[in-house]
Amino acid sequence: MLFVRPGRLADLDALEHMARTAQPVLHSLPHDRRALEARVALSEDSFRADVDFPGEEFYLFVLEDSESGKLMGTASIIAAAGYSDPFYAFRNDALIHASHELHVNRKIHALTMSHELTGKSRLAGFYIDPSLRGETAAQLMSRARMMYIAANRKRFTPEVFSLLLGVTDENGVSPFWEAVGRKFFGRDFADIEIESGGRSRTFIAEVMPTYPVYVPLLPEAAQCVLGEPDSKALLAYEIHLEEGFETDRFVDIFDAGPVLTAQVDRSACVTRNETRLVRESAAAHGSTYLIAHNGGAGEFRCVLGELAVNKDAGASLSHAARAALGVEEGDAVRCVPLHAPHRDEPSGEAQ
Amino acid sequence: MIVVRVVQRGDVDALMRLAHETGPGLTTFKPDREALAARVERARRTMEDKAEPHEAGYFFVMEDTDTGDVAGVCGIETAVGLKQPFYNYRVSTVVHASQDLGIWTRMSALNISHDLTGYAEVCSLFLSPRYRTSGVGGLLSRSRFMFLAQFRERFPQRLCAELRGHFDADGTSPFWRAVGSHFYQIDFNVADYLSSHGRKAFLAELMPRYPVYVELLPQEAQQCVGLTHADTIPARRMLEAEGLRYENHVDIFDAGPVLECHIADLRTVRESVLVPAQIVDTAAAAPQDGPRSMVSNTSLGDFRVGVVAGVPQDGAFLLRAAEAAALGVNAGDPVRVQPQKHKQGRS
Repeated sequence: MLFVRPGRLADLDALEHMARTAQPVLHSLPHDRRALEARVALSEDSFRADVDFPGEEFYLFVLEDSESGKLMGTASIIAAAGYSDPFYAFRNDALIHASHELHVNRKIHALTMSHELTGKSRLAGFYIDPSLRGETAAQLMSRARMMYIAANRKRFTPEVFSLLLGVTDENGVSPFWEAVGRKFFGRDFADIEIESGGRSRTFIAEVMPTYPVYVPLLPEAAQCVLGEPDSKALLAYEIHLEEGFETDRFVDIFDAGPVLTAQVDRSACVTRNETRLVRESAAAHGSTYLIAHNGGAGEFRCVLGELAVNKDAGASLSHAARAALGVEEGDAVRCVPLHAPHRDEPSGEAQ
Repeated sequence: MIVVRVVQRGDVDALMRLAHETGPGLTTFKPDREALAARVERARRTMEDKAEPHEAGYFFVMEDTDTGDVAGVCGIETAVGLKQPFYNYRVSTVVHASQDLGIWTRMSALNISHDLTGYAEVCSLFLSPRYRTSGVGGLLSRSRFMFLAQFRERFPQRLCAELRGHFDADGTSPFWRAVGSHFYQIDFNVADYLSSHGRKAFLAELMPRYPVYVELLPQEAQQCVGLTHADTIPARRMLEAEGLRYENHVDIFDAGPVLECHIADLRTVRESVLVPAQIVDTAAAAPQDGPRSMVSNTSLGDFRVGVVAGVPQDGAFLLRAAEAAALGVNAGDPVRVQPQKHKQGRS
């Protein structure tokens, strides 16, 4: 059974392997082993720490297969993006240009370098082993973070965001980078992507445009990819939308990939949360739920399970699920339907 | 003899005839009797010191004094932008550099500017196609510098001239396609017409409020910035020979260059001299194949200028009787003389 838990120093070998193979590069996981070790140690400390407001904490999650003990994925949360450095994104503003006399009224979009997301909690570092097929594992890995946030509100900002990969062609060329970034940097996207350290380096302020960039004046190819996820990020994009993330306010400064934002209060993990009591019985037929448990000393687990739709039925969990979550009969767990209700009525198609 | 002279109230009919020779595109000189009469009246009122500063402007016609044929026009506005704003883009330099990354890039940005407000402007030049091979275009254009030299005190410190920008063979502007069309949402010619007829409110309402990065525009639009229309290159050369320079201002519609200078630095202002005229018979006058000069009278209300053979001699200028009559000069009157560079004599 697949479950999500905090990463540990004991996972270092597996994490190093993932950090090196992940495409595109995971800014939250350095390739250098010592830096990676420091990162994992920071995560362990973060999970254990008493936190009243978000700061330098970094939360690293891993996806483990309980049968093989093998790590199959990772994802993370940066408590405050940029922290002491600014976090850069393009804010997508709509400017109204209207003339009564000429009967012209037009909305013109302009991209402005913005620090507005600085200090907000950011979902990052999502990676799933390519051998895992279907969307379920990706749903679990990605949304476990929101399950953690929903259960640990003080550790994060009320609004969170996530930056997804923008469109590149078969040669890895980003049309938006060619039209904008390259003019300022005079270098290849891949070079700068690695050096940019997740959009928080001060050189971004030195090199990227100070004035807003008018979207309609850009070449067609660049306009087309604005706010569009790459095909490799399409699943992640849909998972975010299902969670309640919104698009269009921000795009990435380099490849114009979507920057999705969500008010935690309005996200699925908060609004659809049901706290249920664990029952030791055979799994019921119903719908797929994200099921999470916050243990002591910074422990956190999340699995997917089939639960009866009726909340009063509690959470009937298999032995494997109870073991993965570290719970017993009578413990409270947070349960959130994986999909919106209209899609998983009991009479509907099976998941 | 071909002379350029200030317009008179009786010229409206001749101007109407000439205006019928213009094609589409020239927006300031159309066969519109009311508009032409108003333009003439404005020029006369300016010379009578009855025009408000924002409306002051001069208008000149080129006439063949032998036939009375009016063959060209040109104008000078005294101070642009004092009522309706005068818009241009200023092409500014933006450098982005990072020592850490070893990056240094230079870009240009177009900033909406009113920098040229209060400048005098040379404008509205039109020469009949019937005269374009006769070498009188230079006289028509340069006559204005003689006027500026003679009536320096009637003008501000600086002068500008807007030149047509680059257009494709199909008559469309790549710069307009890439920039203006997105903001103004109307046809180039409509925008140009409204703007040149003082209906500029739409500009403020619709123009880009932030600087526009040139390097982010399509290549063909980038190349238009400061590029002169092929037909206007001779005019640009002439203005540059007079001392005007491109100083990084361009038109907001077609990105054509604006040339600028201090009026005191104009070649004609610096070099032309005032000397008394002597009227002589043909035998005593300078040979027609020798050096030539641009010569004007000093009358505001009947200013006339033409090109005649000769250069100032012994503190005077010798005019044939016919030339003196065409230029409205009596014996002993002061004349302003600008000797022509020899090779430019008939160019």
